[in-house]
Amino acid sequence: MLEIENLHVSIAGKKILNGLTLTVEDGQVAAIMGPNGSGKSTLSYVVAGRADYEVEQGSIRLDGIDLLRKSAAERAALGLFLVFQYPLEIPGVATMTFLKAAINAQRRARGESDLPIPDFMKQVRAAAQKLDISQDMLKRPVNVGFSGGEKKRMEILQMALLEPRFAILDEMDSGLDIDALKTCAEGVNALRGKDRGLLVITHYQRLLDFISPDIVHVMSRGKIVKSGGPELALALEASGYAEYAEGAAA
Amino acid sequence: MIALAPSKADEAFATLLPADASPSERASFAQFRQAGLPSRRVESWHYSDLRARLRTVPPLAAAPDDASLSVARGKLGASARLRIVTVDGFYAPDLSDDVSKIAGVAIASARETDFLGAAADPLLDLNAALSRGGFVLDIAAGARIDPVIEIVALTGAQTDRSRFGRNLIRLGAKARAQIVETRDEGFAGFGDSALFIELGEDAQLDHACRCRETAGVELQSFTATLAARAKLRSVALLAQTPFLRRQYFVSLAGEGAQLHLGGAAVLGRNDHADVTLVVRHDAPHGLSRETFKYVLADHANGVFQGKITVPPHAQKTDGKMMCRGLLLSDEAALSAKPELEIFADDVACGHGAAVTKLDAQNLFYLETRGIPTIEAEKILIDAFAADVFDALESEVLRDLLRVDLSEILGEETLV
Repeated sequence: MLEIENLHVSIAGKKILNGLTLTVEDGQVAAIMGPNGSGKSTLSYVVAGRADYEVEQGSIRLDGIDLLRKSAAERAALGLFLVFQYPLEIPGVATMTFLKAAINAQRRARGESDLPIPDFMKQVRAAAQKLDISQDMLKRPVNVGFSGGEKKRMEILQMALLEPRFAILDEMDSGLDIDALKTCAEGVNALRGKDRGLLVITHYQRLLDFISPDIVHVMSRGKIVKSGGPELALALEASGYAEYAEGAAA
Repeated sequence: MIALAPSKADEAFATLLPADASPSERASFAQFRQAGLPSRRVESWHYSDLRARLRTVPPLAAAPDDASLSVARGKLGASARLRIVTVDGFYAPDLSDDVSKIAGVAIASARETDFLGAAADPLLDLNAALSRGGFVLDIAAGARIDPVIEIVALTGAQTDRSRFGRNLIRLGAKARAQIVETRDEGFAGFGDSALFIELGEDAQLDHACRCRETAGVELQSFTATLAARAKLRSVALLAQTPFLRRQYFVSLAGEGAQLHLGGAAVLGRNDHADVTLVVRHDAPHGLSRETFKYVLADHANGVFQGKITVPPHAQKTDGKMMCRGLLLSDEAALSAKPELEIFADDVACGHGAAVTKLDAQNLFYLETRGIPTIEAEKILIDAFAADVFDALESEVLRDLLRVDLSEILGEETLV
């Protein structure tokens, strides 16, 4: 369970999150929708542990553990995963090297031994096949020269291999055509389960046609301003965000 | 060259010249004396203050006796590779494998020191005057030598010594070989070594140099001459260098010769590594690529000076030189001075230099996958440095350098 309470965050003196409170239960898929600049991406970075944000107040807990006292890597080892809106290209680092380093780092953090190489290869091959990721892609450096769709599929592949307790999907639909979106959504849906919480951040209702949320939160000016069922997303699609922007200003 | 008043070190070197020095050795020594030990007033030595660093000159290393052979043997360890071992600059057949068992390979102790018309350089002159007992490795025309030959430079001395290794590798026309040079002479003393490479027409050599522990003050000169269509690929991995100057003098003497030079220096503490190269395109249609990378932590100091010279007759030359630095601390520094001297009008030549820090976003990406910061940094540093190894065609040599780099970065080899 992810619990965020009264979170206040700024970067370079600029306030971004303004008393945000949010709970996502195990097995729940929660969606956060909101206009540009409402702080959605900041929320994902702060939960994942990026260092350049200043948390002024509040708490973030995963399964009761205070994440703010943990490094990004420690958070990942506790089972947190972030699907990046724009996955990074890392020249010179082979994808397989990267995947192996990530899996084994998390295993070591849990006190387990490294995954034997044949098992590792088998797991990667199986997961890659489901996501239509070719052997050639796995041979290239991490995300280098990948299309937007390939990068997102690679994110889902990492998620499938690392089996997180909780995943945040930051605008997973950006840069994806409809076919790539379907493939990625299927990958995500396959990872839904009663022990895993998901937080889906998006601008558009479209993504939620493929990953149907249990609950929808509307975010504006750095906090959650409304929560409701899936019908809330449809209403937003029809009316836009103007109401919430004004509401927050008042 | 600017003449300077002799320094203490100059005087000390004079005492090293053996009484039985040959006329050519005496001539080389006279040339060295005339120029003197380079100071920072000499332009090509501006960033490496040799005079300040070399206050005393240790005694000349003697030909290895049983005691020093035994010291060197202790450091040698076992290897499946065929090895040619030098001890304090002297070819040591007792410690070496008999590479002449391979068809097309011959090795001999070098008596004559004036192998080649060497570049005008005082340290090469000093080396020519004082070196004794190097080797000449010959690969016969047409021979294709598949096993990797390793040259291991060790010390056998128990105290500080001055070492002047001087070796020649010669490939006949169409010969091919892959050679790894492992320099592990220890931090003690002074070194002024010279390696000469002569490639016949269509010959191809892959050469990797691993500098593990270099002397307190160490100079390495790499001189190569390429005949028509010869290909030389050489990459150096430099680490643990208190004060190193590695200088390249390469001549693409024949038409269509190709040169790929690379280097990665991974430095910390107060390490100083200076790579200075002079590449001369002396015939048309030559190609040269030089890529040197520096990973600099603590107070490390990197220097890159690269000069590509293209005289009027070397039309259709294609030369590209690149130097990149990764600075890991505010105190580390890189001085880069690439130069092109082009007198031909139909050439494609370029150079570049850049310094960066570790990319915070890439680092964060790796960390969000559970990779701890220190390991993530090593992965990025490894990736930055290791791509210079791709200049080599030999996969075996590339892998040797990769493993070494991983060891240097203190991590296990990944995948």
